[in-house]
Amino acid sequence: MICSEPAKEERSVTAISSKKEPQSGRAADWIKACLRMRELNVLSVLLLVGLLISVFSPYFLTTNNLMGVFRSFSLIALMSIGMMLVIITGGIDLSVGSVMGLSSLVTALVFQHGYNAPAAIGAGLGVGIAVGAFNGFMITWIRLPPFIATLGTLSIGRGLMYIITKGVPVTPDVPDSFTFIGQGYIGFVPFPVVILLAMTAVFSVVMRQTRFGRYVYATGGNEVAARLSGVRTARVKFMVYVLSGLIASMAGVIAFSRFVSAEPASGFGAELDVIAAAAIGGASLSGGAGSVEGAIIGAALAGIITNGVVLLNIDTYAQQAITGCVILIAVSIDIWRVRRKER
Amino acid sequence: MKFTQRFTASALVALAASVGATAHAKDAKDISVAVIPKVAVPFFDDCNKGAKTAADKAGVKYQWVVPQNTQGSTQVQIIEDLISRHVDGIAISVNEPKSVESVMKRAEQSGIKVLTYDSDSPRSGRSMYIGTNNEQAGATMAETMGKALNGQGEVAIITGQLGAVNLNERIAGIKKGLAKYPGIKVVETQGTDDDLARGVSVVETTLRAHPQLKGIFGVSQVGGPAVAKVLNTKEFGTMKGKLEVLAFDDLPDTLKGLKDGYIQGIMVQRPVTMGSLAVEHLVAQIQGQEAQPKDIDTGVTVVTKDNMTSYTK
Repeated sequence: MICSEPAKEERSVTAISSKKEPQSGRAADWIKACLRMRELNVLSVLLLVGLLISVFSPYFLTTNNLMGVFRSFSLIALMSIGMMLVIITGGIDLSVGSVMGLSSLVTALVFQHGYNAPAAIGAGLGVGIAVGAFNGFMITWIRLPPFIATLGTLSIGRGLMYIITKGVPVTPDVPDSFTFIGQGYIGFVPFPVVILLAMTAVFSVVMRQTRFGRYVYATGGNEVAARLSGVRTARVKFMVYVLSGLIASMAGVIAFSRFVSAEPASGFGAELDVIAAAAIGGASLSGGAGSVEGAIIGAALAGIITNGVVLLNIDTYAQQAITGCVILIAVSIDIWRVRRKER
Repeated sequence: MKFTQRFTASALVALAASVGATAHAKDAKDISVAVIPKVAVPFFDDCNKGAKTAADKAGVKYQWVVPQNTQGSTQVQIIEDLISRHVDGIAISVNEPKSVESVMKRAEQSGIKVLTYDSDSPRSGRSMYIGTNNEQAGATMAETMGKALNGQGEVAIITGQLGAVNLNERIAGIKKGLAKYPGIKVVETQGTDDDLARGVSVVETTLRAHPQLKGIFGVSQVGGPAVAKVLNTKEFGTMKGKLEVLAFDDLPDTLKGLKDGYIQGIMVQRPVTMGSLAVEHLVAQIQGQEAQPKDIDTGVTVVTKDNMTSYTK
């Protein structure tokens, strides 16, 4: 199984391609390492689609439009970071859409009862941690398959939302300092995009440079071997589900800050978009492969297609079909290149 | 001398006039308008028809953008993309009024003319609302039901999305209208999210729970087809004709239900009119010809077996 890191050091569990580096200078080495990066496959598809859209629409490459597009896929991209971690360990988290919606709702309700922003945000994030911990408990202690466990939490979450809202959206008054999270800008960059970039940077470092990151890959690559090597796989798996839940609730709080309305169907179906982003980003559903950066690129690809469809005045009914085709093409190219390297 | 002076003078006047004119009136073919429905249901196909006809007549560029679901965030994203595309006018039927407020204000600030049709977002700064006065429509329904039941009986209200502003206004109108008929009691109000399968299940449950039900108000478009389907079964076939069923929107299944006697009356809105008025007023506002836009009530027609072949929308 190919790890997505450039081949630099031996690791106890996952196989890596062991090409010898020619002694041709650091810059050349760096360039070669970049070209070998698996993310380049999907990045090239992204750039290609972007180029195609910009040829047909002069508005695509404008700052306003690009920032708008980034902001609109930023929530899916954010959640795909957590999802990528879960998928790398060989699991899956179907409850992220539900958690996002429930966090939005809880944040709204706390505001509605007159509490301030920090309380509301804390409550919203708390929901994510609680659900994530619950998922983690079901999966590591009760040993439920992740698909079943998170499917259960998804349904419970959805049901709770309808019970609490009785079908009517919750629209409390919120202070401007809170709406900055979803609607504010730092310079010309929307704040949700800033949050996304920060989280990507943090988790990129965590996955590549810290022990926890290695444990995650190890657990996914070969759980038994990892455990026998001393990795506390149960604890690692529990952590990734908590992280996935926490990140989903962050997305929920940001979404509520943006729309100032918690709808009963909020987040519905988001889990599929998030899984698609992670899959495009190189995640193997059997675990051990994929990267945070890849997931972001995957989410970006789906995001610009949605934007492109409106900019190019393509029938919006075609949007899902187009997204599906592009996803298949992107992942096929990726798998083909990986196969080639293996020979 | 005199001729050239006069010529230059009139040329200058003509030039000034044309500059002044272009400052206000854009060339029709450079104007682009976008119309956004709530979601892909037949009612909005009629709006699209009316809007496209008006757009073709005015010679402007027309775009019909359908959201994939009824979440507020989806329409927000569409409006943002349209702002990037620099359209001149947007007409929208709003799914969730609060979530689109800030993006609609942003569109207006960037010079785009925005109005709502069919479903409003009152605090979004839109120039006008074109649509059915839902409370009035509800009151008309209540009046029709009251007369048909002679002021006595239990009735149920079947609605679509529980949070939809236009549907709740119709329900409010019904309740107000029923105040005149104290012998009529509303025993159930149920939501269906405008999903047919849910609607059928909700109607069945309601009929089973209230066997002496005398009337059903279907305030959204799913009511008619759902009731027609349910009354066409063995279990409930005997209630046909004993129930006064009033539906909303003339879907083909609802019209068939009217013809077959399952449904007694349909409140038909005027979606084609809504669509064409929306585009007409957008173009007028873009060209600076409409200074004081005012809301327009497009009204409903009460369609029964008598006039079902002759009404217009």
